[in-house]
Amino acid sequence: MADGHAASIALAAHAAPAAEARGLVSWLTTVDHKRIGLLYGTSALAFFLIAGFEALLIRLQLARPGGQLLGAQRYNELFTMHGTSMVFLALMPLSAAFFNYLIPLMIGARDVAFPRLNAFSYWVFLLGGLFLNASWLVGTPPDAGWFGYAPLTSKPFSVGPHSDFWLLGLLFLGTSSILGSLNFLVTILNLRAPGMTFLRLPLFVWTTLVTNVLILLAFPPITVALIFLMFDRFFGTPFYLPAGGGSPLLWQHLFWIFGHPEVYILILPAMGIVSEVLPAFARKPLFGYPSMVYATALIGFLGFGVWAHHMFAVGMGPIADSAFALTSMLIAIPTGIKIFNWLSTIWGGSLRFRTPFCFAVAFVAMFTIGGLSGIMHASPPVDLQQTDSYFVVAHFHYVLFGGTILALFAGIYYWFPKVTGRLLDDRLGLLHFWLMLIGFNLTFFPMHFLGLMGMPRRIYTYAPGLGWDFWNLVCTVGAVVQGFSLLVFLANVARSLRRGTPAGTDPWDGRTLEWALPSPPPAYNFAVLPTVLRRDALWLTKHPDARGPGLADLRALVTPAGPIHMPAPSSWPLLTALAMIVLIAGALLHLGVVIVGGLLTALALLAFATELVPARANHGGHADGDHEDPHVGATGLDHRKLGIWVFIGSECLFFGTLISTYVVYRGRSLQGPYPHDILNVPLITVSTFVLLMSSLTMVLGVAAIQARDVRAARRWLLATAALGGVFLAGQVYEFNHFVHEGLGLTTNLFAATFYVMVGFHGAHVTVGVIWLSALWYLLTRGRLGARDEALVDMAGLYWHFVDVVWIAIFTLVYLIQ
Amino acid sequence: MESDPTLRRVRPTRVPGLWTAAAGLALASCGLLDSPATTLTPRSDFGWTSHRIFVQILRWDTAIFLVVQVLLLVAVFRFRERDPKAVPAQVRGNALLELVWTLIPAVILIFIAFPTVAAIFRTQTAPPKDAIRVKVVGHQWWWEFQYPDLGVVTASDLHIPAGRPVSLEIASTDVIHSFWVPQLGGKRDAIPGSMTRIVLTADAPGEYYGQCAEFCGASHANMRHLAVVDTPEAFAAWVAKQREPALTPPDGSPAAAGREVYRTGTCVGCHTVRGVSAGGIGPDLTHFGSRKTIAGGILPNTPENLARWVRHAPALKPGSLMPDQKLDEPEVTALVAYLQSLR
Repeated sequence: MADGHAASIALAAHAAPAAEARGLVSWLTTVDHKRIGLLYGTSALAFFLIAGFEALLIRLQLARPGGQLLGAQRYNELFTMHGTSMVFLALMPLSAAFFNYLIPLMIGARDVAFPRLNAFSYWVFLLGGLFLNASWLVGTPPDAGWFGYAPLTSKPFSVGPHSDFWLLGLLFLGTSSILGSLNFLVTILNLRAPGMTFLRLPLFVWTTLVTNVLILLAFPPITVALIFLMFDRFFGTPFYLPAGGGSPLLWQHLFWIFGHPEVYILILPAMGIVSEVLPAFARKPLFGYPSMVYATALIGFLGFGVWAHHMFAVGMGPIADSAFALTSMLIAIPTGIKIFNWLSTIWGGSLRFRTPFCFAVAFVAMFTIGGLSGIMHASPPVDLQQTDSYFVVAHFHYVLFGGTILALFAGIYYWFPKVTGRLLDDRLGLLHFWLMLIGFNLTFFPMHFLGLMGMPRRIYTYAPGLGWDFWNLVCTVGAVVQGFSLLVFLANVARSLRRGTPAGTDPWDGRTLEWALPSPPPAYNFAVLPTVLRRDALWLTKHPDARGPGLADLRALVTPAGPIHMPAPSSWPLLTALAMIVLIAGALLHLGVVIVGGLLTALALLAFATELVPARANHGGHADGDHEDPHVGATGLDHRKLGIWVFIGSECLFFGTLISTYVVYRGRSLQGPYPHDILNVPLITVSTFVLLMSSLTMVLGVAAIQARDVRAARRWLLATAALGGVFLAGQVYEFNHFVHEGLGLTTNLFAATFYVMVGFHGAHVTVGVIWLSALWYLLTRGRLGARDEALVDMAGLYWHFVDVVWIAIFTLVYLIQ
Repeated sequence: MESDPTLRRVRPTRVPGLWTAAAGLALASCGLLDSPATTLTPRSDFGWTSHRIFVQILRWDTAIFLVVQVLLLVAVFRFRERDPKAVPAQVRGNALLELVWTLIPAVILIFIAFPTVAAIFRTQTAPPKDAIRVKVVGHQWWWEFQYPDLGVVTASDLHIPAGRPVSLEIASTDVIHSFWVPQLGGKRDAIPGSMTRIVLTADAPGEYYGQCAEFCGASHANMRHLAVVDTPEAFAAWVAKQREPALTPPDGSPAAAGREVYRTGTCVGCHTVRGVSAGGIGPDLTHFGSRKTIAGGILPNTPENLARWVRHAPALKPGSLMPDQKLDEPEVTALVAYLQSLR
């Protein structure tokens, strides 16, 4: 929580901060967003180098026709791991590194809304990445491509644990992303400093906001898709198998409903970085800030409406093809707006060609090229030639490498001095830049030609005499050049960490709040939280114009004024992540390991959740003299309640996907028992009534705690949990009965969709019952009290949501058959 | 109007001749037009439809590219910092400019959208009644071609007549593949449990390179085929030949010995030779000798290649379902002679 009770840092009269804890344990238990950002950044760079090496091997194999460096299987594993690692272990976590380090600084906050959850997200990512790469060590890395199309990933065609590593790794990593997104959304909504209205936020904060909305809403569909694949592979359900009534196209739709927003998740942070770097080095504000905000929001929104442009070759019919073609073209408009806004930002500026600026300018140029090939892909008649060829490989590398990666390097060079206190060497930086730009273009521009010359993607070799030889060689030379550029970068980092020029507070004459603080900033960020009066507040304070100051008091930001509570370190984020990886790995090993892992995870989660509950409940205000409730933020809502609302957003997509699949697959079972044979509507109606009554008791419980009646609140909480238990008993009875009637999990499509959907709902009810029971227990023991209504309220929101989902399921499954 | 292929080729495009020449020169200098698998010299109506829109979009793309990159370069040179202390005018925006650069891309996209939607509908109408139906079936890792109305089943080489509409009905028996002959137009995925369709009329006789374009497992790179566009007469002759039962080699010939090897070996478990065996898992071999490519289109049909394939298929095609046949050399030679005799 934003203000824990343990560590209080007394400050000296000057701005010298208290020495931060050092040593391995301090890093393993840190909850400081800046340290977590550094952890994300270094881990992501390591995975980036591995994935880059995988690409180098690919290019060496393809340098000549009939290459003998790699066999088919090894090549297929390499391109699968290259893509999967770059997307999930390199680019997303590098963006997360920037979110983590910068967002609290840019909005004038001390940390994120949920620091321990933040640390947990990191450890899950690291362990997930290690798990995925552990597949190399056992010789069975994933080999079905980064988007793993069914039925290639299904059991008859993908034997061995390759695809199990893939789906389990991604399920695990997805958790990290969703929890991270929840954290950043609540942070941006609730932790903005006084006066930091939405339209005064730096554009990087806006792109972070929209990116995290996309993560929140796009990851649940792929989670469900992976769950279906897991059930197919582990238990024999027919979700994606035509032989059982299922369809491989379900995988494609679910994957791309995630996959297209995912590419905006990958590019928006980069656009945010560029939108900060260009103004800084042009010494001009971002041109057209409101349009940039609207364009960002529009891209996020439209990004959910274009997914099937990845499926133009599957024969969806002319109407669907046309609709997705038009929406895909539409999304080019806000993208174009941004390019022209960036151009106008530097036009008329005073341009300083330091390394960050060079990377940012190159981003604009390269991303434009990627966007232009994207327009071709948006037209199905043209796309039918280009999709699945090297043309699309060129397209996405121009936007993801020429776009995202160049922007991330701009960000690294720009903010390295703030993070470390030293500048990266500019001459080495420019050498890195030119080698990378040249190598990148040498590798990827000819791929447009190869695609136009009919070379498909994902082939481990090709025949001579097709005219592909020369350009493939050029591509490989470019890859080697890129490799050198990365060596230069690493050398630069190593050298600059030790001998780099000290940066001081504001080496670039920056425009955003972090440049007001020491480099690196103290653990508490701002001595006094800033009061923001205008956009570009820091710049206007340094270079005033006629319309008034940017900040109320600049010096206050670094002048200590009293004790500051910072959240205490915690080992539960790491321990919980470790417990979960045991659970995940168990799926590949033995049921016993799964059970042990599951128990450990449950215990760790309970410990994590109750870590901050005091031995005796708080009966008054907080000891440090803060007048306001530290949990309530800029929206007026408690962080934790806002968090639950945000979480419910992701759950809507999760259950929405499960329910939609049930509906789409209705009537497609190849054999009985069918729903009308077996569903016991009267029984479940009673069960539903019980669940609805539990919502009533929950409401009464919340009302009781708000009226400070702990005894009544305990009673109603217990009643709610008990009614939930009765509902669950009804479910168990029903499932048992079905199995006896011949409806096993793998019997037909109805069974698969029904059991998975209702099963996950039941799991949510179970979690709710445990949660309410824990609250009851803590209230009974006096560790929570009358003032903890927010905690009961949170549980209430969750409980009501689970009930609403049941109403939808009950209606669609039992009432409308 | 769409029927005469010669008319189509001389009909002027909407693009000015000078532009076409410049683009052609640029592309040719990159070798793009020379490749046997190039998409840039279409040989069917379906291919031309894609190509026309491609050129159109390429025009717009080039214009936008030049505008953006030139502005960027001009800005980069013109506005270099001259005085480190100078702070330039803090221009925050310009509503008119922003409106203009929102509307212009929208208008350009409308110009692209109209022909796109028109082409989508035009290429997805039901095939004409006289279209030749070919069921294209993807397997790991070879293509099967069935002509249900003509009673022909073959593999690796697709034969179609020039100048007549052909309806390719594309499906798969295992994983998702994608049928693509770049010179004849775009691709369509082969999805198990589903059917997709390409309707096209090839311009003129020729042989065109085809390759699977959806990752389908270990030997995805080795799943190719040849699309042979025949004159109508040659096609009719080909069909007639393919319908005949398998040729029986004369007694005592090497091919006759090979027939015995075939009949008594494991081949019959997977392969069909009409009149001899009914396998149904691997490609139909009834007229194997008449094909130009073998092994899923990866090798020319020569005795040497066939011998290598028969000896140890997985070495040429990793993951191949055709196992090592464990034949000795005389058996291999005889078998090759037999298969080559099946014209």
